[in-house]
Amino acid sequence: MDIVTLLTQAGVNGLVIGTMYALMAIGFTLVFGIMRVVNFAHGEFYMAGSFIAFLTYAQWQLPFAATIVIAILLVGFVGALIEWVLIRPLRADELTGMIATLGISVVLQNSALMFFGASPRPMPEVISGLVRIGPAVFSWSRIFVIVSAVLVIGVFWLFMQKSRTGRAMRAVAQDREAALIQGIDVERIFPLAFGISVALAAVAGALMAPVFSVSPFVGITPMLKAFIVVILGGLGSIPGAVLGGLLLGMIESFGATMLGAMIADMLQLALVIAILLIRPSGLLGRKEA
Amino acid sequence: MRMKLLTLSVSTIALATAANADTMTVGLVAPLSGGGAAWGTAMKGALELAVKDINGAGGLEVGGTTYNIEIAAYDSHYNPNDAVTAVNRLIYEDQVAFIVGPLGSAPLAALVPVTTENKKITITGGFTPIAVAPEHPYSFRAVLPTQIYAAPQINYVVEKLGARKVGSLFPNDETGQTMSNDIASAYEAAGADASAVDYYERDRVDFVPLLTRLLAQGIDTFELDGSPPQTAGLLVRQLRELGFEGNIVRTGGDATNDILAVARPDASEGLYVHMEYDGSLPSAQEYQQRYVDAYGGTMNAFSPLFYTTINMIFEAMQAAGTTEDSDAIVAEMAKMSDFEGPAGKANWMGQEIWGTARQQYIPYAIGVVNGGVPQVIATCSLDKCE
Repeated sequence: MDIVTLLTQAGVNGLVIGTMYALMAIGFTLVFGIMRVVNFAHGEFYMAGSFIAFLTYAQWQLPFAATIVIAILLVGFVGALIEWVLIRPLRADELTGMIATLGISVVLQNSALMFFGASPRPMPEVISGLVRIGPAVFSWSRIFVIVSAVLVIGVFWLFMQKSRTGRAMRAVAQDREAALIQGIDVERIFPLAFGISVALAAVAGALMAPVFSVSPFVGITPMLKAFIVVILGGLGSIPGAVLGGLLLGMIESFGATMLGAMIADMLQLALVIAILLIRPSGLLGRKEA
Repeated sequence: MRMKLLTLSVSTIALATAANADTMTVGLVAPLSGGGAAWGTAMKGALELAVKDINGAGGLEVGGTTYNIEIAAYDSHYNPNDAVTAVNRLIYEDQVAFIVGPLGSAPLAALVPVTTENKKITITGGFTPIAVAPEHPYSFRAVLPTQIYAAPQINYVVEKLGARKVGSLFPNDETGQTMSNDIASAYEAAGADASAVDYYERDRVDFVPLLTRLLAQGIDTFELDGSPPQTAGLLVRQLRELGFEGNIVRTGGDATNDILAVARPDASEGLYVHMEYDGSLPSAQEYQQRYVDAYGGTMNAFSPLFYTTINMIFEAMQAAGTTEDSDAIVAEMAKMSDFEGPAGKANWMGQEIWGTARQQYIPYAIGVVNGGVPQVIATCSLDKCE
């Protein structure tokens, strides 16, 4: 395998992981930007998405598009409900809200453990077969993840930029009081933002489930990576989350391919520390007033 | 008067029965969740079936007392800390007679000082040399380690497949390091280059970057040994996703059913697998059917091996006339030979290699996955496979 092939393989795999990290991090940073709450249960909504994919696609054999729609609607609705019932009463104190999300995380993970057991469950691919471009080989299932994730991120981007609700969300994230003065119903924006945030995590989980496998613990690593990504990209910055996700995915893929797993892990965190030393607010983050 | 005598007799019998009937608890510490769960649940199934046999026959009679057997089982999560916590509970709270487990070198290395100090017999699946060592006289191993079968099996596979450059990935811990050394030595001795090696953290699921790195080194064969069953399945699947058309070999630790489930049969076709015993034996097939009837799904091949060792301990307890004197039980176990179990005749070995004969030996085999089913192509002795 020549160096060009090696780099191409690493690049495509970096895109797969990077878009997944970006999907996770966008939702994570959206909630932080708007509500100032670090959602520690974000990984559990990824896990919920993967189990919805397992049930609807692998067990009930529904079309995968239906799986994605069900994951978005179901997890989005449950997320909005959780915000309304559990986080809203604690909104005055950011720390209490974060601890509440930790509790939600434990409840969701243990519920999955009770219902589905701890063993990983394999899932059939959405698209099988390989694509060969010269000596480089890619699986359709991974390319499908990249294309789907880019589409979801694109739709989300359009929603935030063009729709009235999206603009209202951005306004709340920029300045809550000014948004209130402009007549934006913040009480409606909060559960909506939380629902959209966790629905994005669920989409990431549903897309990755056929590539890897499904278990109650699948959300732990993406959650940790989302944390790193939002710090890297800038807390509350959606473009920063996309950039940070892709960057981390690329570092992980190229690092592991060229230098091995252990060095890649060290390199990732060393680079994050280096970037934060130079830009403490992250790559595209704004300095706190 | 006759009524009084009858009542007295019944009371006396009841008292005598109560005095002679007792409960014995057997412990289990094994990975019942996560990547190694296929092995751990197979061990648990073996213990449950052995206990069911004995309780169903009226209990285990040892030294005039009939014991009803209970099980205390804990999940080690394949983690040394959790395994030590579980073993402390088994010894000090549950007061078990002996322990089935642990699995994995790292958990075993962490807890064997505790079991040795407390003279608790353990039946392990850990491949570390610590598992069978004179300083740990109560530690027995039910499963053959890589060190024993690697050379004959790899010699056969290298000759048959013409493997020249072998790639492998191992978990980044004691278990992985031990296996990596054994496997590399065996391939080098057979004339193949096994230097394309890397290590991964056990929670990893995306191996594509690491596999790409190995493929770039020009490997023609990939060795799956050392990875838990589900991970081995992911490795096969991701190797094929990268277009790898070379040989894939699983030298040890039965994982065939999980590999087939995760990677699917088409990706697993032609896979060379280690078979813990000759699966064509009628007794093995009978046990497998019993296991599947009891638990559903598929059976990992570790189960009949542990079932055999568990029954050896029960028989040794009867021969020694004690459930508590581990030294006497161990002495009786050492006398056993050609012990009939579902996987074939079991014997003890290891005196020359480790200085103590605490390794259960049952002849093993090599299989090739054909049409989604592993088929025996060679049976093996300690020296060679043919």
